[in-house]
Formats: sequence, structure tokens, C-alpha cells
Amino acid sequence: MGANYLASLSHYVPELLACLTMFGLILIEATYKEEQKTRGFFFLSAYIGLASVLVFSAFAITKEPLSIFTNSIIIDPFSSIMKMIMVLGTLGAVLITSQSKDIDGNLKPEFVIMATGVLVGGMLLSSANNMLVLFIGIETLSILSYVLASLRKEDERSSEAGLKYSLYGGISSGIMLFGLSHIFGVLGTINFTEMASALKTIQQTDLIVLMPSFLLFFVGLGYKIACVPFHMWSPDVYEGSPLPVTTFFSIVPKVAGLAAMIRISHTFFSDPGALNVGWVGVLSIVAALTMTVGNVSAIGQRSVKRMLAYSSISHAGVMLLGVLVINEIGTRSVVFYSVAYLFMTLVAFYVVSAVADKYGNDHFERFNGLMYRYPAMAVALAVVMFSLAGIPPLSGFVAKFHIFTAVLNKNYYVLAIIAGLNSVVSLYYYLKIVRLMVLKPAESTEPISGFSLMNQGAIVALCIPVLLLGVFWEKLITLADGAKVFIQ
Amino acid sequence: MQSSNLLNWILWTPFIGVIVTLLLPKAKENMIRFWALINTAVTFILTLVLYSKFDVTTPGMQEAFNVKIPWISSFNIFYSLGVDGISLPMTVLTGLLFFLCVLSSWTVSKQVKGYFALFLFLQSTVFGVFFAMDFFLFYVYWEVMLIPMFFLIGIWGGENREYAAVKFFLYTFFGSILMLVGMVALYYASGKGVDSFSILALQGGKFKSLQLEMFGTTFSFSKLFFIFLFIGFAIKVPVFPFHTWLPHAHVQAPTAVSVILAGVLLKMGTYGFLRIAYPIFPSASVYFSDAIAWLGLINVIYGAFCAMAQTDVKKLVAYSSVSHMGFVMLGLAAMTVTGMNGAVLQMFNHGTSTAMMFLLIGILYERSHHRWIVRPDGSKGFGGLYTQLPKFSIVFIIAMFASMGLPGLSGFISEALIFLGIYERFTTITVLALIGLLLGAAYLLWMFKRMFFGDVIEECKSYTDMNAREIAYMVPLCIAVIVFGIYPAPILNVMRASVGNLVSMLSMY
Repeated sequence: MGANYLASLSHYVPELLACLTMFGLILIEATYKEEQKTRGFFFLSAYIGLASVLVFSAFAITKEPLSIFTNSIIIDPFSSIMKMIMVLGTLGAVLITSQSKDIDGNLKPEFVIMATGVLVGGMLLSSANNMLVLFIGIETLSILSYVLASLRKEDERSSEAGLKYSLYGGISSGIMLFGLSHIFGVLGTINFTEMASALKTIQQTDLIVLMPSFLLFFVGLGYKIACVPFHMWSPDVYEGSPLPVTTFFSIVPKVAGLAAMIRISHTFFSDPGALNVGWVGVLSIVAALTMTVGNVSAIGQRSVKRMLAYSSISHAGVMLLGVLVINEIGTRSVVFYSVAYLFMTLVAFYVVSAVADKYGNDHFERFNGLMYRYPAMAVALAVVMFSLAGIPPLSGFVAKFHIFTAVLNKNYYVLAIIAGLNSVVSLYYYLKIVRLMVLKPAESTEPISGFSLMNQGAIVALCIPVLLLGVFWEKLITLADGAKVFIQ
Repeated sequence: MQSSNLLNWILWTPFIGVIVTLLLPKAKENMIRFWALINTAVTFILTLVLYSKFDVTTPGMQEAFNVKIPWISSFNIFYSLGVDGISLPMTVLTGLLFFLCVLSSWTVSKQVKGYFALFLFLQSTVFGVFFAMDFFLFYVYWEVMLIPMFFLIGIWGGENREYAAVKFFLYTFFGSILMLVGMVALYYASGKGVDSFSILALQGGKFKSLQLEMFGTTFSFSKLFFIFLFIGFAIKVPVFPFHTWLPHAHVQAPTAVSVILAGVLLKMGTYGFLRIAYPIFPSASVYFSDAIAWLGLINVIYGAFCAMAQTDVKKLVAYSSVSHMGFVMLGLAAMTVTGMNGAVLQMFNHGTSTAMMFLLIGILYERSHHRWIVRPDGSKGFGGLYTQLPKFSIVFIIAMFASMGLPGLSGFISEALIFLGIYERFTTITVLALIGLLLGAAYLLWMFKRMFFGDVIEECKSYTDMNAREIAYMVPLCIAVIVFGIYPAPILNVMRASVGNLVSMLSMY
């Protein structure tokens, strides 16, 4: 199913459009003068550009899977749907940026431009069928992320976040490359398809090199989705970055990393054998640790943003459960979970951003009595908190249910129990916000006003999928079921 | 109204009530109260209609009322409702208690709109649990219920309400998660062409011989997951040692919510055993019945001793619930027709008698604003109430004796049936549990003596007797307690066939 270069381009429209959007936005930004604060046209173009990426990715969902650019990139329903999730996440982050006061007006265009760049990297990552493409994807995604983290140049914490991020990122990229070079040394190719067939005829002695190499390779990917023990950078980066950037970080790079992880697991490790056992074993331990460490650390946080950062670590751990089963049920559950997680995260960060803008910080006390001062926001946040904890009939519950189906279908009972206990722990801190908002008296009884109509409308609109996907999830699960990973 | 839609109407009427309540203006508090009253009255009448149309001879689910609509076809999940002789008494009890509780909540003045909206929402979810014939649907209702409960305790509760609300939520959620794991495991284990969440399709000893391999040893699937479901339900009952959330939740909750909690929500735990754990894992239930009986006994004795030590009268009644639910557990462990009938009847009777106790304590609290039998400093909290509040005292005596199990009142019959039922299988436990009855009489009478007899203490002199509204919601319960104490047939008849069916299924293992 290979296609020549020119024909390949026609299948590569979403990525090309994303690049086009990025360059277009740079040009548009250049037309603004320094003192012009509002950038209506800029944001409008960003929305249109990203929406077109979304539409073209959606077209590819129903198409037959195929490999392009001499088999180095695969366009299959799975990668298309993951791309759509990433685009939606970017759109949401751009929306929050346009409203947020956490980023200075002049920096907002920079964020949008670089976020689009990260998106391109993520899209590359999700359909990479070649180690080199995979690495380019990771680096595109990472290098722009370092800049994003240190977006507020004059802010110490933001600079610290950027520095930490790039240090960790650089080291893990190095480790990953080191692992990759050994893998290449053993298998003699960097193309996934050829690697997979080479793995089938592997000698026992080669495994001694291959298994540690894959472990090193895993470090790079694990770092991207911030799983324990490669998560150290993430809370600091999440806290130091401006809120919209944090929103973006907790969605797009994670989804991209998981997509790559799923493709790699399916391509290399689906056949039973020592490699499969090793990979699944490592992933199981990492997943269990990620869930637990993320949750336990989230409990003690004072800042809501930091709490959400830790909770996003634990959610990545839950999604890893869907990866490590290496079957279609697992892929389906990860796709569903990502969609649910996307909307929940967007609403949560949106409300936190709106509240933090009002008060100047996002400490827990700021949420006291929010219900009596601004009911709509409080209800939206409460719904999302219950959903993140996995209370039916909300989308977070259905997502968790699907992860359980994946794990229990494979009879991994211990992992299921660990995941279950973790969701009890997570309920504690999610409930804390609800408790403060509803059960605590407000600092003052005066209603908060001044959330723009745009903000309110957007929050309600983003809340609707959280509610609807909890009850009417048949369509989405059918779609997710169709998102099969294409292996030649 | 077609009878096939009756369950839908009962389930969704309170939900429509929620939506209307939310649309009513916040300031019109009386309008909201009347609306809630009308809504619960209609629901209660609908449950009575259901009772009147119920065919007592059918052992299983009543075909005429079944509702089955595909929800998620790719997972074989159905919106499937049904009713049988075990869920019917609970349905009527729910209808009755919510109606009376709205009357008793008339004095709630804090955020009236939110209170009644959540209260009606709670009612809808409770019906959902009792009607659900699909495990997935059951689980959804079981969990959703926690949200209104959390807010009802957390916003309208006593001083320590936040702690109580969070503890209640976390405890129950912990149990539910184990249940969820069990549910999904069942879905895949049922395999062989019947991937299903249907409770009817899962039941019978389908999983009896299924083995699991873990850590080099084999486990029996049914035993392992019976324990999972057991913990999930036992937390709700609550069975010792999972009971520690109960005293907090009961004491902190507002009166009406305590009533619902003790009257209906605890029964959902035992209902879970009857509807899900027993029919799906009959062999494991029989295997563990000794353990269940011993846990039930601990509940009876331990609950009674705890009750005796309390100085807060609401806490005393809360612990008495632990003790009384122990009797239900004993009846369930018996696995004989008599014992099971007694257990289901006790679920109903404890619902009415404990509701009376909590309502009465609520009435008293509105006058005294404290609940101390003996204050921490050793002085009397109440004294001579009998002289001061004669009508109140008479109702209290009825409630107390019903709860104690005095012959002629409802508690006696169900407890007698339970003891008859378990005697053959667990003679030692029966004898020990009888001590629990004695203790029950002791703590209740002692409490009564300290509060109602003696001289009227100074602060009690200002108390007024029950008003017309309070009498209005106590009378139906008094009638229920007395009538079902003399003539329990209306309840026993409807459950007999279904309970017999369950027992015969269990007796095969």
C-alpha cells in the first residue's frame, strides 16, 4: 500500500494544514503593532486553521489505513482519532488563552503559534512508523514545549519550569537515542514494519541487548507522558507555566505519547514471548506506580493547579493500563478515556483559570463558597470533579469502566484492584474542591460577576460532552472500536 | 396508565419533580415545599397502585411491569426495570418514607430549593436501585445516589457535617469500586455467548466451577468475587467492621435524611445480597453463610453494646440500627424460607420503626437543640418528658416497643421469623443473638427511663407537644407498626413466592 511522494502528500493534509496554520499565524502576528492588545483576527485565524485540521483528520477516520512516505508514516483510523483529540485539546487551550489573564496579551500569539507547532509534533508522533520520524516527533514536541513552559520570561518560576523541562527532556532524549542505536544495531533497520519482522526471528542472545535497549527507549516515551519515575519535572513545570499552557501540557503531549506507546506496543510486543512479558511487566509496574504516586501526591497540594497536575499524572497511569493489555479492547478504552479526559481537563482548567484571574491565585481557599457566589462555574467544576473521580453517570465513569473491561478481560485482577483503590483516593481530593465550593461559607456573600459571556458559554459547551458521554456513549465507543492500530 | 409503564412513572416522577423544583423561584419557599409534598404523594400513590396490581403468585420478575430498552447495544447493556416480591415492599416503603419526610422537612429553612431538589433526586435514584434489572444500571443508580446524599449531609447536617459527608462518600465509594471490578469480571466470565450485565442472565450457579490462576495458585472465581460484592454491600448495611461511617453520617445528617438513610438506604445493602450476590453466586453464598451469620451476630451484640454506651440519643438509635440490621444478616445467612421471609420483613419493619425513632428525635431536637441524654458534664439532658409531652411520649413508646420487638408490634414478627429460620442451622448463634434482643430492650428502656421519667428539668418546661403537622406524619407510621405487628400478611404474601424461589435456588448448592 505504499504511495509515491506526491501521492503521499495528499494523505498528509492535516499535518500540512497544521504547519500552514502555524506559519500563517506567524505572518498575521507580524502585522500587529506592539501596543495593539486585542487580536481578534489572529485568534479567529487560529480557530479556523485548527478547525480545518480537525475536519481533515476526521475525513481520514473512515478511510482504509495506508502507509505513506516510503512506509515511514501510517495513516490509520487510530492515528486520525488521536490527532483529532490533540487538535481539540489545542483548540481548547487556545480558547482558554484568549480569555486568560495569566498570560500577557503580547505573549498569547506566541503561545498559539508554538502550541500549533507542538501539535504538529504530536501528530507526527501518533502516526510514526519509523524510529527517526518518532524521534523527530518527540523533539518537535519537546523543544517547543520548553519554550512554552518559560513563556513568562520575567517570571522566575516560569523560567525555572522551562529550564527543568529542557534539562530533563534533553537527558531523556539522550537516553532514548542511546537505546535506539542499540536496537538499530541488533535489528539493522529503523522502520517499524521491518523491525517487527526482524524481531520474529530474533536470537536468544540478542535479547540480552534488546531488552535493556527497549527499556532505555521506554524512558524517552515515559518522560513524555510523565509516568513515574520519569514524572519529577511535571508538577514543577505545570505549576510554573501559565495556566493555559498547563492545560495544553496535560492533554496534547500525553495523548501523543500514549498514541506512540500504543503503536509501538502493538507493532513489537503483541506476540507472546520474552519481549512481551518484559514490556508488559515494565508497563504494569510503571502504571501502578504512576497511578499511586500521582494520587498520593495530589492529596497534599495547596494550589488547585498543582493538584490537577498530579491528578493528570495519575490519569496517565490509568490510561497506561489500556496500553499494556495490547489488544483492541485496550486501544478502544484509551481512545475513550482520552476523549473523556480531554473535556474534563478543559472544563476544570477553564474554571480554575477564571477563578484564578479573579483572585490572583488558585489556592484552595479561593474556592470557598463559590457555589453561592457563582453557581454556574461551581456546578460545572463539581460535575467535572465527580467525573474525574469516576462517579456515574458522567463520562469519567464510563472511561474508567472501559479501562476496567480492558484489564479484566486479560485477567489482570491485581492491576484492576490497584486502579480501583486509586480512584477512591482520587475521590478524596476531588471531593475536597466540591466540599470547599459547596459546603464552606463564602469569604463574602457578594456574587462574583464579570466572567465574560464567552467564558460562561464555553464552559457550559465543554461540560455538555462530560454529561452526555456518561449516558449516551454508544456512538463514541463504536467510533473508538473502529480506531484500530494498523499493522502490516 | 399502562401497567408496563408503571415502573417508569415511579422512577421518573421524582426526577420530573427535581426539574420543576429547579425552575420554581427561589424565594417562594412554601411553593417549593408544597410541590415536593405533592410530588412525593403522587409517587407514593403510584407505588400503592403497583402494590395493588402485583400478582402475588409469580415467583420471579413480574412480566407485566418489565421495562427493557437497549441502552448500549454493543455491550448488551439495557435500561431494564423489573419488580418482584423482594423489591416491592422496599418500593412501597420508599414511597411512604419520602412522602412523610417531606412533611417533616417543612421546618428546613436553609436553601429550601436546593434541599428539596436533592431530596427528590435521591428518591429517584433509590427507586432506580430497587428496580434495576441490569447490573450496569444498578451500579449507576447505586453510585449516583451518593451525590445527593453527600450534599444533603454536608450542607444541611449538624456541626461535624463535612467530615461525616466525606466519610460516608469515601466508604461507600470504596465498596462500590470493588463491586465495579466484580461486575466487569462477571461480564467477561459469563462469556460463552452470554456477555451480559443482565442480573437474570447472570444468576444461577454459572460460575461455580470457574477457576482463576494468580500467583501460581488457583482461586475459585465465585468465592473471590462473592467477597468483592459482599464488601460492597456490607458497607452499605453496614456489617461490622465496615460500620464506622454510620454513626457519623446518622448523627450529622438532618432528620429527614437520617430517616431515609436508616429506613431505606441501609436496606439497599441487604437488598443487594438478595438481588445480586446470592442469585449470582449461590454456591459461594452457601459456602460463606457461616461467616455471614457470625458477622450478623457481631452486629447484633456489638451494635447493642455500643448503643448502650451512648449519651447522644441519635447516636444510640444509629447504633441500634447496626444491631437490627444484624438480625437481617442473620436471616439472610439462614437460607431457609422462614429466615429469609423474616429478613425481608425485618427490612420493611426496621424501616418503619427506625424512621419513627429518628423522626421523633428530630421533633425533640427542634425544641431542645441538643440530643444529650446525659450531658458531657454529667447533668441530665432531658427529664420528665412524659409529663411535659404526653402525645409525643405515647408515639415514642410505640416506636420504642416496635423497635424492641414487643409482641403485637411489627418488630416482633420479623425477629421471631428470623430466629425460627436460623435455629435449625445455627443453634449457638441463635442463643447468643437472643442476648442481643435482651440488650436491645435494656438500652431502649434505660434511655426511656432517663429521658421521660423523673422530674421535669427546668429547660424541658418550655417544650411544646407535637403539633398537627408532626402528628400527621407520625400517625401513618404508628398505624403501619401496629397493623403489621398484628397482621403481617399483606407484606408476607407479596414476598413469599419470590423468597421461596430464591431459597430453592440456594438449596441446590
